[in-house]
Amino acid sequence: MIFVLVSPREPATRPVGLRLEGSAGCVTRVAVRVSARLASILFLISLTLGCGRNERMDSIYAQRCASCHGLSGRGDGPLSASLPVSVPDFRTTVEQRSTGQIRRIISNGKGLMPAFEPALRPAEITDMVQMVRFLSREGRNLRWWERFDTLVVAHCSVPWELVLGTDEPAEGGR
Amino acid sequence: MRFAGLLSTCSAAVLCVIAENAVLGHDPDTVLPRFERREVELAVRDFTLTDQDGRQLAFKHLSGKVVVLGFGYTTCPDVCPLMTATMLSVQRTIPENQKGSVYFLTVTTDPEIDTPAVLGAYARRYGADLSNWAFLTGPPSALKRVWENFGLRPVKKARGLVEHAPLTVLIDRQGIARLAYIGGSPEARVMRRDVAELLQRRS
Repeated sequence: MIFVLVSPREPATRPVGLRLEGSAGCVTRVAVRVSARLASILFLISLTLGCGRNERMDSIYAQRCASCHGLSGRGDGPLSASLPVSVPDFRTTVEQRSTGQIRRIISNGKGLMPAFEPALRPAEITDMVQMVRFLSREGRNLRWWERFDTLVVAHCSVPWELVLGTDEPAEGGR
Repeated sequence: MRFAGLLSTCSAAVLCVIAENAVLGHDPDTVLPRFERREVELAVRDFTLTDQDGRQLAFKHLSGKVVVLGFGYTTCPDVCPLMTATMLSVQRTIPENQKGSVYFLTVTTDPEIDTPAVLGAYARRYGADLSNWAFLTGPPSALKRVWENFGLRPVKKARGLVEHAPLTVLIDRQGIARLAYIGGSPEARVMRRDVAELLQRRS
């Protein structure tokens, strides 16, 4: 299997490799081409670095979560005082529960909290899991790996198959 | 009969006005409305809806029972959970010998999301005793008739997000709504007392 880089203008199946054919001009052309692709990948990554918290997340959170959890995620929403149970502070939630557990609670509900799976798309539930993390950061010492959350989100948002192309069987491997 | 019909229409209109005034927006800064208890006299028209197990339930079959009827939907991020919690609290305090005389109904305001399966999961999460509580859904046309009977006009804001009045109604053994609780957090203590009073009334 050869992992290839494909520019958007070229067909996804066309393999590109470094071919040293003894010609300096050819090597230069290939080097320029590879550099251009690396630059485009870095450009895409830089674009997605800002894709952490966005308006869509804020909007869904304000509509469906803030009334109990509060805009700051500290469990101090306008309804929280009327609830027969205490609403958790997200700073505590992220210390005690894994991302998977938080996702399950948002999807399936817990106690008085509604199950949002029937109402929200999977991507929107992911957004709310992220919101729990984003809101939990204020006033809390972050663990080292949490500093890379945005990068992880960005990584997941990039259409890598378009950027890198797909694996192609080696010649004669069929 | 004409007078009774007029009275019902007036009661529904009054309920409608009160309920519409109590409609909650979904702005997180919304202040929880004050809970209101109103005496009403509203004939409940018969309806047939589907419960959480997919069975048909006709309101007329509950004749002779005091019915606590609440409106809400399962993905409500607002006060519906409080209303359900209050009903649950009332249900748990009904003495064993009176359980057969009281029935609880939760009618959805969002049939798009609230299928019988979704309602069943909701009921189980709350730990509701389904021997005298049904969570009802049905075709929008059938539900609309029930909503209109009580002056409710749910407005869909987004998928799984509906604006509606936080209304719970107490219906006597003859099928006449006698009390309306409007507000997100009706007091279980008050509702319990009202249920006990209606149970004592002679048919």
